[in-house]
Amino acid sequence: MKLLKCPINGTRPISEFVYGGTYRDMPDHEIVTDSEWASYVHYRDNAPGLKKEWWYHGPSGTWFIAERNTLTDEVKDTYLFNKLVEQESVK
Amino acid sequence: MPYKLLKFGFGREFNESRYFEDVQTPKKTYDVVIIGGGGHGLAAAYYLAKEHGITNVAVLERGYIGGGNTGRNTTIVRSNYLTPEGVKFYDASVKLFEGLSEELDLNMFYSTRGHFTLAHTDSSMRTMRWRAEVNKHVGVDSRVVGRDEIAKACPQMDLDCSGHAAIKGALYHNPGSVARHDAVAWGYARGAANLGVDIIQMTEVQDIDVRNGKVHGVQTSKGYISTGKVLSAVAGFTPRITKMVDIKTPITIHPLQACVTEPMKPWLDTIIVSGSLHVYVSQSSRGELVMGSSLDPYELHSTRSSFDFVEGLTSHIVDMFPFLSNVKVVRQWAGMADLTPDFAPIMGKTEIEGFYLDAGWGTWGFKATPISGKTMAATIANDKAHDLIHSFRLSRFEDYELTGEKGAASVGH
Amino acid sequence: MNMRINKQTGEWLEREKQINFTYEGKKFTAYEGDTITSALWASGEKVLGRSFKYHRPRGVLSLANHDINVMLTDGVDTNIRGDVITVKEGMSLTAVNTLGGVKKDNLRYIGKLLSPFLVVGFYYKAFFRPRFMFPFWENIIRHGAGLGKVNFNYPRIPKPKLNEHYDVLVVGAGPSGLAAALAASLDKQLKILIVDENKQAGGSLGYDRAGSVTPQSQLEELLSEVNITPNITLRTDAYAGAYYTDHLIPIIEFSGITKVRTKTLIIATGVFEQPPVFRNNDLPGVMNGSAAQRMIYRYGIKPFNDGVVFTANDYGYRVALDLIHAGTNVKAVVDLRKTPVSSILTRELANHDIRIYSGHCVYEALATSDDMAVKGVVICPFDEETNQADSEQSFTIECDGVAMSAGWASAAALLYQSGMKVKYDYTIEQFIPDSLPNGIFAAGKVNGVYDFDQRIADGARAAAEAMRYMGMDNAPVITVQAHSNVSPSHSFPVVPHPKGKNFVDFDEDIQAKDFINAAKEGFDNIELMKRFTTVGMGPSQGKHSNMNAIRILARIRELPVEKIGSTTSRPFFHPTPIGHLGGRNFHPVRQSSIQSWHADAGAVFVDVGAWSRPAYYQKPGVDLAEIIQQESMAVHNAVGIIDGSSLGKIEVCGPDAAQFLEKFFTGKFADQKVGEIRYALSIDESAVVADDGIVSRVKDELFYITIGTSNAAMVYREMQRWLQMWQLDVGLINVTGSYGIINVVGPKAVHVVSSLTQDPLVSKLTAGKVGETIISEVPVRIMCVTFVSNIGYEIHVPADSMLAVWEKLIKAGTAYDIRPFGTDTQRLLRLEMGHYLPAYDTDGLTIPYELGCESELAMDKPFFVGQRSLKILAKKTLKKRLVPFVLADNFSGQMPEDCNLVIENGEIKGRVTSISYSSKVDRVIGFAYVDPNKVEAGSQFEIRTDNGSMVKATVVNTPFFNSKKEF
Repeated sequence: MKLLKCPINGTRPISEFVYGGTYRDMPDHEIVTDSEWASYVHYRDNAPGLKKEWWYHGPSGTWFIAERNTLTDEVKDTYLFNKLVEQESVK
Repeated sequence: MPYKLLKFGFGREFNESRYFEDVQTPKKTYDVVIIGGGGHGLAAAYYLAKEHGITNVAVLERGYIGGGNTGRNTTIVRSNYLTPEGVKFYDASVKLFEGLSEELDLNMFYSTRGHFTLAHTDSSMRTMRWRAEVNKHVGVDSRVVGRDEIAKACPQMDLDCSGHAAIKGALYHNPGSVARHDAVAWGYARGAANLGVDIIQMTEVQDIDVRNGKVHGVQTSKGYISTGKVLSAVAGFTPRITKMVDIKTPITIHPLQACVTEPMKPWLDTIIVSGSLHVYVSQSSRGELVMGSSLDPYELHSTRSSFDFVEGLTSHIVDMFPFLSNVKVVRQWAGMADLTPDFAPIMGKTEIEGFYLDAGWGTWGFKATPISGKTMAATIANDKAHDLIHSFRLSRFEDYELTGEKGAASVGH
Repeated sequence: MNMRINKQTGEWLEREKQINFTYEGKKFTAYEGDTITSALWASGEKVLGRSFKYHRPRGVLSLANHDINVMLTDGVDTNIRGDVITVKEGMSLTAVNTLGGVKKDNLRYIGKLLSPFLVVGFYYKAFFRPRFMFPFWENIIRHGAGLGKVNFNYPRIPKPKLNEHYDVLVVGAGPSGLAAALAASLDKQLKILIVDENKQAGGSLGYDRAGSVTPQSQLEELLSEVNITPNITLRTDAYAGAYYTDHLIPIIEFSGITKVRTKTLIIATGVFEQPPVFRNNDLPGVMNGSAAQRMIYRYGIKPFNDGVVFTANDYGYRVALDLIHAGTNVKAVVDLRKTPVSSILTRELANHDIRIYSGHCVYEALATSDDMAVKGVVICPFDEETNQADSEQSFTIECDGVAMSAGWASAAALLYQSGMKVKYDYTIEQFIPDSLPNGIFAAGKVNGVYDFDQRIADGARAAAEAMRYMGMDNAPVITVQAHSNVSPSHSFPVVPHPKGKNFVDFDEDIQAKDFINAAKEGFDNIELMKRFTTVGMGPSQGKHSNMNAIRILARIRELPVEKIGSTTSRPFFHPTPIGHLGGRNFHPVRQSSIQSWHADAGAVFVDVGAWSRPAYYQKPGVDLAEIIQQESMAVHNAVGIIDGSSLGKIEVCGPDAAQFLEKFFTGKFADQKVGEIRYALSIDESAVVADDGIVSRVKDELFYITIGTSNAAMVYREMQRWLQMWQLDVGLINVTGSYGIINVVGPKAVHVVSSLTQDPLVSKLTAGKVGETIISEVPVRIMCVTFVSNIGYEIHVPADSMLAVWEKLIKAGTAYDIRPFGTDTQRLLRLEMGHYLPAYDTDGLTIPYELGCESELAMDKPFFVGQRSLKILAKKTLKKRLVPFVLADNFSGQMPEDCNLVIENGEIKGRVTSISYSSKVDRVIGFAYVDPNKVEAGSQFEIRTDNGSMVKATVVNTPFFNSKKEF
């Protein structure tokens, strides 16, 4: 059983978490073409590597972002979504 | 005793020849390069050579043949799907499987044992009914049966599942079978090699040379090979290959795990699947119970085993078979499955000229081995999707024309 | 013949306690502490099992669970491993997989007669022509395979599971493991666990004594130190089952599994002895040297009377000295190596007048006339360079036992599973760790360290490294000397013999020639060879066979051993019982706070998602179909009551609450007035229907949502996620468990509900409205919902007060014959009302357009989840549509059922999703997917029933009973 660190509740066994898929930036729905939108909805950045992912700590109802390497299963960092927003805005 | 064995008893020497030549160095040019020496890639090579006369073919395998999901699955073959296109496709596969031992002169241990998909809830009974109706429509032998019929086929099972999820009925699929998975790969490899195909193991594809939207060759750990046609048949590794040609797919990779017990005398004659309990189990001809469960709950490109899997699986196994409490699990393992949003494969041509995909196999790849080989061979030879795989084209996602296989929404292996 | 010798120091027996048992119908006695195998061997019993394929008689090989020669059944349990399972009073044992008993196993003729035909992979080459004969052959093969028979009456034994956390977990309580634990224990803060699969700690130090008393005193010293160290826990008879991510190691004991999570892991699991390969190396009486040593010092048994030691390392000399100590007449030491080993050991043997044949091999073991045991060995010169035995110069030595010592293989399963990279060390002819993952350390023989002092040092080194890994920078730096003696393993202890029967894998009856033949057929890499020959795939998972297989393949390929590599190691280290792994298996079920009331009222429960809900209430003498009609007619004619507590309940509050709902659901909520309720549909980003529910605006900034039972957790989770992304000022509270829901429906419902309160709110409440009031001192929310009836009150009550309110309603309803109803009737009632049910009338790909619910899609909103996909889908041709239909008046004949297909011109156009007879409508009514051009009322389509007959159905408007006049 793998361990994962919830930014609020600390390190817990993975059975307490729900995987929410890779974090995806939603394109502006007003300007994208149908095909671009379909690509956003269906296609995934699926090659292995370090990914920003949604994870949910079930018992406490906490969504957060985990930076996890999908090849090695190593988790580099976990943080609340706000931090991702801050990072993006800095960029 | 079969004649073939008499030969060994009375012959002085063991004169069996190699199944396939272990080609060390690839040629400079091939008509078709197949990435992936699993069942699918080898079958495609075999049918390219046999049915389309295209023999200048290389099968490139990064490890050894059949070492990926071909050698890791639980060997179930069936065609009791939900959509007509799915049922027809897998039914064609079952029919090819039935004659495969003779065709490839190798005993695949293709054993038709009947297949029960158990329903523990009213809603899964409805799904079973739905599947049965579609199967019947297409001419596939599936029907909904009650507890009595399940009890007759498997009297040892606790139909009340220790009181936790009593079985209400099942979808019974008469053609449900198991086969010796490794032998399928070996048989196709030998068949293809005999027709002139080069099978090149321990050779990794590092890049695919695409220029002006067209395939020109592949860069491998053993040098550059020029070719106009490349088939990717690498379930579990598909995203790594599609990245090389820069095409997007909806595939995500999830490990799929399985385990076996130590051998015991045969008692389980049929194949038992429970979607609700996430269990499938059959007994191999070695006497081992071969058991599997649903996909791992998160994306991972690795074949590590997890304890959660074996704990969950066995807890359900003892619900169904309490007397197995002290039967021992010998070994667990994992494969990597391509998961698609609509639980159907992705097959056929792509936007890149000369790049063909055979992917998205989820948990159903092994049972499709012969038909995927045959249809992909036809698709490559004619550069036009075979009729049976039209619904499985990659562009269906952009077109919002997903197949209906997900309608079943419960696991089935 | 009694082989027991006098008491040995450190032996595992309690000689004062005698145990009686039977084996193959014969009576035996044993001492407490004896394993089944040791007890039988002590009594002179040598045939302890039959092999898997050829049914050859088998005795002891490892006496350590590295082989499965001795597999037994006691009539209750099967595949009992005699080498390690202690014998218990009254056991009645037989060997598994024999026909007629272990001595007279009639299947032995298979081995004798058929083995020439049963070449490696024989089953791939035959039996499939003609095709119809395969089931016949398969049946024979299936019954031939398998070991023990399963006992179908075996009780379910759910074992508990524990969780424990340690700083250091040491696997293996041999000298290196004990030394590692002791070294780590100097930091008193560290919590240390040592586990060992054996009944007693000590590892090889307990039995590899070379006739000396020193090893045992060294062991006792180590153990007494461990015993007085408070921060070390030592658990024996406990094996580490596997390594899993993040240092999770299940420790398996008879009593159950402890899931150990450790900061650091020290693997000191030692090595498995690998038998040399020569003809008849499997005869009872031929055993590993370490097996003979275990026999002597653990169980006080003389392994044989007249023994020959066949060795290819120095350990054979130690074994010879131990045999002498046990009273065995050691007739020869046959050393495969040409250069005699000049050491203390040879001198000691010389003192005992033991003849040493250097550069010789045991060419074959000879069987007694009944084939049941060894009677002698054929010895001949052997050339290590060419791997040739000069059988022309052979001679025979009579003996009743052979001890074999040729080398070792790392017991590195957990290290492999953790991701270790290995290298092959030619100085010891063994794979050893090259690099290890973080927090994992190896010590002792598994790490290639053999000398006793160095093993102690290596344990301390591993501990120091573990401590440094945990941040203790002052841990000492300890160096371990490289191996300087002769190699403990021989590079190729394989003696060719034209007649074969020189076994590599005893589980699977695989001989040396099988590898050669497999390679001839092209299976010449280690993984393919494993799969083709099945080497290492038996229950002992290659513990005694993998290394020899690799060595043989290396010779065949003319490659160095490290180029061959090794096969993947997978859980479990030893086969592990399903009951242990499954554990106690908890099945939590959610119940309404008045579940017992339902039970008392005769409810039959059904699982709905995580909940258990009443499906219907039994009435004596009334069948289910009739009950459902009665319950529904009660609602239509008077009043019914249903417990809807399982519905998901979510409060959405805050300044942006309305905005949030507008984004999450397809409909509009910004203009919803306080006191109003609205239907809410949620779809996912690809526009597939997820769920629906009811949104009540309780206050300006407080919405209260009820959603479907099964999807509630998922919908709540998705709401939380979107809220994060939208960063709105909204609070979401899942109050599903806090409230019960009582739904009072039917024309008399208003009387029943208003009789409980003076508040005029209730009587004034109209459809689509919600209010808050007090009912018998309980604050409640009441909403007027027309889901199952035109008149219905959904009363949301704090869960702990629900029973009181429910009972008052029942009492108030008595005057109107109020009837409780369950989910079965609810489904009929909503069908009669013409409402589809997500997950019942929809599937995993249904889009709103297929439900014809365009009016619920506020496409003029700036955004909602799935909206953009809907815009794309709106341009596409619809493939099917859900429609309400009826069958002909007075329909008789084969009744269509759920999931029967809608067929047009032989093609599937859709399916029936709901269908039922309705007393109220007096018709068979239902929902079905049909061709989109058949949506108009009056359109007709055909349903194919179970028996194949086609039934005409007519599309109608809903609610069904309102449109009755139209039929």
